[in-house]
Amino acid sequence: MTVPSPVGGTGLPARSRGVIGLLAENCTACMLCARECPDWCIYIDSHTEELAVPGAARPRQRPVLDRFAIDYALCMYCGICVEVCPFDALFWSPEYAYAGYDIRELLHERDRLREWVRTAPPPPAHDGRGEPAKQEVAAARRAGR
Amino acid sequence: MTPQRLSDVLTGVTGGTGTVSGGGRFARATVDVPVAGWLAAVRAARDDDRSRLDFFDWLGAVDEQERGYAVLLHAWSTALRHGALLRTLVPRDQAVLDSVVPVYPGAAWPEREAHEMFGVRFAGHPGGLRPLLLPAQFEGYPLRKDFVLASRVAKPWPGAKEPGEPGAGRRAPLRPPGVPAPGQWGPAAP
Repeated sequence: MTVPSPVGGTGLPARSRGVIGLLAENCTACMLCARECPDWCIYIDSHTEELAVPGAARPRQRPVLDRFAIDYALCMYCGICVEVCPFDALFWSPEYAYAGYDIRELLHERDRLREWVRTAPPPPAHDGRGEPAKQEVAAARRAGR
Repeated sequence: MTPQRLSDVLTGVTGGTGTVSGGGRFARATVDVPVAGWLAAVRAARDDDRSRLDFFDWLGAVDEQERGYAVLLHAWSTALRHGALLRTLVPRDQAVLDSVVPVYPGAAWPEREAHEMFGVRFAGHPGGLRPLLLPAQFEGYPLRKDFVLASRVAKPWPGAKEPGEPGAGRRAPLRPPGVPAPGQWGPAAP
């Protein structure tokens, strides 16, 4: 049966590569995704801020994200940026209906990428026949001690 | 016929050097033949009773850099149900090879494509090797390893910045393959 899209829902599997969302709170502007991107389609601007930590001798320096944009006119949906992100700031979402009348509309800035995170499916459940997660094993060991 | 047997047969038939590729169950008999004997080897592989490679599958080229251009041809025997790769290494400075269109007419398009992508000339090709996919005005051979990727020169690399630095970083960015150093290629900055 043909389902009218997007009115009838996408009906796509959760692992579908529709669009990439950004959870900017997790992003440290480390530039890894922009450097790994084979299409050069991720743009990041950041500046350094000093963070005064009580009790520390010197203020701490940390990068602050100013701009994060993905150009979906260039993106080839390889997912290397999602794989390489060490801080879980990028997520795949099955949403695909973001065609526009102008190619510039495919440059998604930070606020638009944030909206896509809301459509990202929860991570798949742990395989019941797989090894237990390392974190769970470590936590159980700590609890038993 | 096993790939090893077919490889031995083709070594005798074509006068080349037969080997068997990797790939386990999908291994192919592979025969390296000299450039001068290319057309004769292809014809012999098609006509010999033990190989009977009557179906032309594909022809392609690989830029092996200083070793030259490898031209590969895969053919299949519809009667005996086996396939073999024939391979030759064309020198860089004189990239000319006999056309196999007299043996396999279906090779005309793959040879045109190999010519426009790698600059390998196929002597005796009917129709004069017109470009197949590229526009007639296109200059250069885009699948050669020394072909410059113009789009990578026209646009600055977004990953050149350091974390927390608004402008471009101090360190020189690593360049991907095919990207020339600044000032080496393209119009000079005004």
